[in-house]
Amino acid sequence: MTAEEPRPGPAAPLPDAGGTPAAAQPATAQPANASDGEWLRVHPASPFIRGWVALAAIAFFFGRDIFERSLQGRPVFEEELAGRASWLLAGGGMVLLVSVLGFLLTWYFTKYQVSGGYVRVNTGFLFRQQRQARLDRVQAIDIVQPLLARIFGLAELKFEVADAGESAVRLAYLKIDDARQLRATILARAAGVAVDPAHPEKPSPEAPEFQVLSVPPQRLVGSLLLSEQSFFVVVGGIASVVLAAATDSQAFYFYLIPAGLGLAASYWGLFNKGYNFTAAISPDGIRLRYGLLDTQAQTLPPGRIQALKVTQPPLWRPLGWYRMQVNVAGYGVVENAGEGSARTTLLPVGTLSDVMGMLALVLPDPGTPQPAVVFGAGLTGLDSDGGFVTTPRRARWLAPLGWRRNGFAATDTALLFRSGRWWRQLVVVPHQRTQSIALHQGPLARRFRVADLVLHTTPGPVVPRLAQATTEVALSLFDEQSARARLARKRQTTEQWLRQVVPGDAAAGTGPVAGPLEVPTPLETPTPQQQEGGQHG
Amino acid sequence: MRTEAIDPPGITWQRVSPKYVTVRMVQWALANVATVLVLALPLVLVLAGVWNWPPLWLAVAVPAVALVSALWRLALIPRQVRAIGYAERDDDLLVRTGIFFQRTMAVPYGRMQYVDIGVGPVERGLGLCTLKLHTASPGTNAQIPGLPAAEGARLREQLAARGEARLAGL
Repeated sequence: MTAEEPRPGPAAPLPDAGGTPAAAQPATAQPANASDGEWLRVHPASPFIRGWVALAAIAFFFGRDIFERSLQGRPVFEEELAGRASWLLAGGGMVLLVSVLGFLLTWYFTKYQVSGGYVRVNTGFLFRQQRQARLDRVQAIDIVQPLLARIFGLAELKFEVADAGESAVRLAYLKIDDARQLRATILARAAGVAVDPAHPEKPSPEAPEFQVLSVPPQRLVGSLLLSEQSFFVVVGGIASVVLAAATDSQAFYFYLIPAGLGLAASYWGLFNKGYNFTAAISPDGIRLRYGLLDTQAQTLPPGRIQALKVTQPPLWRPLGWYRMQVNVAGYGVVENAGEGSARTTLLPVGTLSDVMGMLALVLPDPGTPQPAVVFGAGLTGLDSDGGFVTTPRRARWLAPLGWRRNGFAATDTALLFRSGRWWRQLVVVPHQRTQSIALHQGPLARRFRVADLVLHTTPGPVVPRLAQATTEVALSLFDEQSARARLARKRQTTEQWLRQVVPGDAAAGTGPVAGPLEVPTPLETPTPQQQEGGQHG
Repeated sequence: MRTEAIDPPGITWQRVSPKYVTVRMVQWALANVATVLVLALPLVLVLAGVWNWPPLWLAVAVPAVALVSALWRLALIPRQVRAIGYAERDDDLLVRTGIFFQRTMAVPYGRMQYVDIGVGPVERGLGLCTLKLHTASPGTNAQIPGLPAAEGARLREQLAARGEARLAGL
């Protein structure tokens, strides 16, 4: 990527690019199509940044002792130790040397290459491992910057590939500019932008992007304060105070201390993750950025979102806030609201217009002439608003609260499931993302002549399930949805999203985002808000 | 097979081999006989006068309940096996199971990532196999047990060929 000289052509032999020290090692057992693949190394400081915890622990362990001794005016070493100081020093030096050597070897044997539609990553010197990932199967790319890496201007590139079980490929750490460049290259290849045969080394330009929304910090704080977690905190706090007063015992307060610490850590984690959340759109897909100390920039290429849900807990209702979560292949299931759930969150907290804006990004073609009405009814509506078909009245005892909300609506491009009277929820599944469909009916449901319909998607927080639909309705939806999914799959034939737009197939609905960008030229135009540099620089 | 309420109309279901009942009964025996015997141990000890504590009625009731529920499940097996059906449609494979908790599933050929065949020891003795379909979703828990080995192989080849023709990405 760093070579300047133009190559004669793709048929040129592979050898190292001469000038770049990183490309000293030519590929050994690579397929012949590695036309533009140099083997590159990650930044030499990477193992130290990854292993800093161990180094810091050692430093802390010895440092504290020496510090305390010197504070107390004692000699740094005890008398009987002083005689053996040289041995101790030698031993410590050996340990340090071995770990540094290990770090260096790890670094030396970690190499990566982008070529011929694949990214390959080699790691390990005792147990060597080669991973290769098909670029057109890239589901999402993240640039992660933990605090320490951020201080040194480094970043980890992490991408999910829907190829095999263990899917994440990580490159840690690269210089932030290199990471961004590599991301642009991978996304351009994944999108099907042709490599200029005259200049295969010419870096792909970064796609321009436009910021769509951001979450102000006060709203984030408000959403944390009004979360279910806070509700239980208040209830738990009141309960322990009452118990302490009733039993005249102070012991309850002791239990509150670790609980309070845990809660503070949890709130801090959520705040740190969700701080400064912004969403932007680019031809590469949706860019999400967030984080206070550790920052993360996620890119979801178009059409990679398998399913989406919009939820509103009851405490958020007076403020009109919503949360959006997505299923992306490779992100997997995240149970609690802690660490990894940020990755599956499309919008941590947003207003109705934010939600509609994000929906427009995910589904450029809503498939209905009145998207605001249909999706609005999905968020807040009851009964048959917006064309929703709900649970029949006869089955209201199966869902005494939710029966007027439980329902579905189908647009030309997506299926909408609505549920929850108090915990409102709207699930959106694009038709071409349906994996398989199942109808379920238990004895009680059979008695009320209703059935559940389940759409299967990739693992994630969204589980699309239509509860208690009339049996006939469920059965016809089962057939219609199979047909719709089949049609949608036929329209979308390639994973390379810039090549998806087939002439004369206007209904394919890749929409205004990917539509006019078959060639990389518009990518090179400067943009009003090239705001990435501002955030990472 | 009787068509149930949630089955799409006009489908002729393929049934699995009746011999699969034997497989299920062996599984049932492995799971239940040991349980009932262990639960009956206190009864024996009480009757022998070694133990005093569990009153006789309790010592009788626990294994009796376990036995009745096990027998009930045993009695259901033939009907459950008869309720398993599959049908190859033009674009998807339908699989149905269950009598009380029924499930009908449609797995599009283009979504199948791989198909595998498993054969357990009892199944091998009876010349049966179990076909499992995998899509990108773990929710697609579609398997057709109790297929005759030849039919399983045919179905696997058929599904692979159809999947190849209609393969879509995620």
